[in-house]
Amino acid sequence: MCRLLAYLGEPLPARSLLFDTDNSLVRQSYSPRMMNTFLNLAGFGMKAWDPTSLHADEPFTYRTTTLPTFDRNLRFFASKLAPTCLVAHVRATTYSGEGVVADTNLHPFHFPGTRVVLAHNGHLRQFPRMRFALVEHVDPALAQRIEGTTDSEWIYALILSQLDDPYGVPDTRELAEATANALRILREVRAGHGIDTSSPVNVCVSTGRSLVATRFSFDYGWYPPADEMLETDLPFVSLWYAIGGEYARRDGDWRMSGDDPPRSLIIASEPLTTDSSSWLEVPEYSMLTAELGPGGLEFETRDLDV
Amino acid sequence: MSDRETVDFLAAVPLLEGRDEAELAELARVMGRRTVQAGEALWRQGGDRRELLFVVDGAVATSLQVSGGRTVEIGSAGPGQMLGEIALLDGQGHTLSVRATETTTVLALGHSDFAALLAGQRPAAFTLRRRLVAHLTARLRDQLRHLAASLGGEPATDGAPAGADLLEPSSPPDSKYVRRMATFHDFDPLALWGFLTSGKYVRCPPGQTLVAEGAPSAAYYLTINGAVEKVLVRGDRRIRVGLAGPGMAFGYESLIDGRPSPVAAITRERALLLVLPSDVFEQLFHREDAISRVFLEAIQRDLLVTLRHALRPSARLASSV
Repeated sequence: MCRLLAYLGEPLPARSLLFDTDNSLVRQSYSPRMMNTFLNLAGFGMKAWDPTSLHADEPFTYRTTTLPTFDRNLRFFASKLAPTCLVAHVRATTYSGEGVVADTNLHPFHFPGTRVVLAHNGHLRQFPRMRFALVEHVDPALAQRIEGTTDSEWIYALILSQLDDPYGVPDTRELAEATANALRILREVRAGHGIDTSSPVNVCVSTGRSLVATRFSFDYGWYPPADEMLETDLPFVSLWYAIGGEYARRDGDWRMSGDDPPRSLIIASEPLTTDSSSWLEVPEYSMLTAELGPGGLEFETRDLDV
Repeated sequence: MSDRETVDFLAAVPLLEGRDEAELAELARVMGRRTVQAGEALWRQGGDRRELLFVVDGAVATSLQVSGGRTVEIGSAGPGQMLGEIALLDGQGHTLSVRATETTTVLALGHSDFAALLAGQRPAAFTLRRRLVAHLTARLRDQLRHLAASLGGEPATDGAPAGADLLEPSSPPDSKYVRRMATFHDFDPLALWGFLTSGKYVRCPPGQTLVAEGAPSAAYYLTINGAVEKVLVRGDRRIRVGLAGPGMAFGYESLIDGRPSPVAAITRERALLLVLPSDVFEQLFHREDAISRVFLEAIQRDLLVTLRHALRPSARLASSV
């Protein structure tokens, strides 16, 4: 099962999130502590916004289909970069000939000319049956940009298509509404095709200024007979967050300082440290939104009833 | 503390009440005695020290680390009280930090010695399991009471629970599917089958109230497919304290201690449930055979998961104060 990570807040060395902690995102690629029936060996991707860089609204991009733990370029890069927003992902795929490990399937997805990126942890069961019914809900120009074979890229195109301007920078409210609308469309299309088995959709969507994350599943708890993903999906797919001030190592432990109002937020499929005491679990069936404002970080969780 | 005094102390511990003197003397022999000074930590939240502690004298405080590096005092414990049972039973990190608030002496029972007390199908092992389940239920009620107080107001009175007789009957699930659930895959297949055939199966639509907060539960429910929310509701405010997905149970607290249910249980997804009416629950709870052991272990596991869940919203509320 894939693992995702998002950060929004004051500038933070990317290596603190990707490498330095004892359950960092890169470590989760080969040694995840939760939902560990699948390793996340099918590639790494990252989008990171640094307001001091050229074209600050455009994120840095790093993608590789090789194992990130052996990637020296990523390690060097992560040591020099201190973004205010970051979305990263390590990808899993099924251990079969059906899994496609390719650059075009790497998250976060980001179509040229658009300002929104998406990383996904989950899978839509029986997606091939419903894929083409989604076409009518996706902006044709966006549909043409789908290059890969994943359900995640279609979810991304669907969310973009719900925005007033898919090439603009939506505010947090519009981004949250677009995400919820996309889930409603997916529910309708699934129902239309008689698809009623568990399909987790934990997504993280960002513009570099706002973050929207979901911990959600369609038809949680229902599985096809003899399903190979059963043990992975029996627990609700995990999502955690830590909120506060600066994320740094203090007295040997990685923690956020206790700032009020909060200035920084980390969202991750699993805590970045084996000691999870400073992390909170995102409630099941919920949406989390965050935005960097002049007074600090505006943050909200709400029930996601779509 | 002499051996005699240790045995006398253990005889008065509710969990061990009724054990014969030879057993208690053997237990006293394997238990370690420690004295800690005021301010000294017995363990940290998230720590993996596996032991059951009995406070002999002195006092300890329990605290919860919350997001933002803050610590919230949760409670205290004194002579005769027990600590560490959640981490000991589920093998995960400690839910709370514990430190002495004055010079404190504890008796410590290690993981393997504790496991030996629970092993087999001796009457004493069943008694201990039942007491553990009752103890965990009391802890859960205490935690839920704190959460409910934070919401204020009174429980919702609408949404009367549907009687199990009114729910749509269903055929049993495929046993291969049930055995793949983490809750059950290390159970003896025959005993598991005995447990799974003890009740009846029903289907429920989403949004169906099955147990009302503050009212007695009519049955024990086990989710086979779908999901059921355990919630505290006060007007338009609610805290979800658990989600009973496949392999998780609900509705059992009031069957264990005879008190009203501490939470409401409402289906979030359509659900296939195993229902054990209260008389079947009573039989399984008090029998001493392999099926009863599966049943008690399943309840215990469920209580441990729910207790850990119940501490999470507490952290969230504390961090927003």
